[in-house]
Amino acid sequence: MPAAAAAPRAGFPVLEAASLVRDYGPVRAVDHVSFRLGAGEFLSVFGPNGAGKTSLLRLLAGGLRPTSGEVRVSGVPLTIGDRAARARIGILSHLSFLYGRLTARENLLFYGGLHGLEDLGSRVPDRLADVGLERYAESPVDTLSRGTVQRLALARALLHDPEIVLLDEPYTGLDAYAGALLQELLSALRDGGRTVVMVTHNLGRGLELADRVAIQVRGKFVFEAKRADLDAVGLERSYRRAVEGKA
Amino acid sequence: MTVYLRQVAAIVRKDLLLELRTGERLAAMGGLTVLIAILLHFAIDQGLVRMQQLAAGLLWMTILFGGMLGMGRTFEMEREGGAIQGLLTSPVPLDGIYLAKVVSNFVLVTAIEVVALAAYWLFFGFNYGNAPLLLAAVLGVATLGFVAVTTLFSAISAQTNMGQTLLPILIFPLLVPVVIFGVTATGRIFASRPVREVEGGLYLLAAFTVVALTAGTILFRYVVEE
Repeated sequence: MPAAAAAPRAGFPVLEAASLVRDYGPVRAVDHVSFRLGAGEFLSVFGPNGAGKTSLLRLLAGGLRPTSGEVRVSGVPLTIGDRAARARIGILSHLSFLYGRLTARENLLFYGGLHGLEDLGSRVPDRLADVGLERYAESPVDTLSRGTVQRLALARALLHDPEIVLLDEPYTGLDAYAGALLQELLSALRDGGRTVVMVTHNLGRGLELADRVAIQVRGKFVFEAKRADLDAVGLERSYRRAVEGKA
Repeated sequence: MTVYLRQVAAIVRKDLLLELRTGERLAAMGGLTVLIAILLHFAIDQGLVRMQQLAAGLLWMTILFGGMLGMGRTFEMEREGGAIQGLLTSPVPLDGIYLAKVVSNFVLVTAIEVVALAAYWLFFGFNYGNAPLLLAAVLGVATLGFVAVTTLFSAISAQTNMGQTLLPILIFPLLVPVVIFGVTATGRIFASRPVREVEGGLYLLAAFTVVALTAGTILFRYVVEE
């Protein structure tokens, strides 16, 4: 049965990683990562392939058990079976999590059902409208373009009004136009007061949206800065130094 | 309806909708069921063999092989677009995901049983006895036990490279009680034996099913959690 809802505690960060470690056998994918994010903060995490970014995001989503350390949502530790905390988190990945043979509307109805939502009759059309996909409501997902599927996946991730949104390489496979459309939607997300963590290779887009940035290499955060203290050239320089092991 | 039941119902509805739309598992299971009936029809000289005595065995052989064919693909549909991650990171308790998969598999195998009963009646004119409710109870309870075990092990086999090849090797030993008690009870119903001769088998099937469902509900999280 579902666990009782974890009550948010005032004065605590919305999302906190406390010395998170995740090992896969002898390989350490996430190495003592810590950060705290308040309401409405946007953290972009950059890093090369295999840096452990996706593992970090899966830990934050409660989909992967940490080897040590913990994730806290509004001060409450997120355990692997904590379904109530998961209801406060939305995930957008380069994988859509959508079923190709179902229509856009059917996919959202299904995910609404997983969240136990009751007002899906009005909520689903609203979310489709939010991402500009009303006219695709009855289209099977496998007939949609990659960019359209990604917008639908964003509607899925936001269907239950999560306070925390986790983005895993959301621009993968998108052309320039679709990438720009998604960027607009993510900007609106940031301005809507949600706490967001995005892992991406795309330095430009990640920096544009972020309040804070971090660079993860071999599992560790080797560089962290506030957006205000950094420009695109500075980020690129820092990224290169971090990846080359000079940070 | 509680949130938990709504969550389970959403998964069952999605699974059955996808199956109706693609027909992937039903076509394979139904095709095998009818094929077995046709092959046996031509392979066995019904003048020499008393087919009615084989009825329960043939029915259960068809259910087990046909069911196995479909159950092995239980988690295939969740691989598409990484949907399994969407499911596992949703607020649905893991036991809810397991139970939903059991329910949707139960519906599919029951559909195959109806096809098998019809096919064997058509080709061999089997007499299914005079206790249809008791037959439904035996088939229902045994099928639930069968899918409880198979669903859990299809989650295990989905995570290995051997996939469906591994499934029969893993589960046939565990299905021995279903086979023994299911075939025995079904055979007695087909022979129109007194109800008291079937009750014992039905109770044993029920006990097996309760144990299988309980174990599956508890163990599923260890299968899918990383």
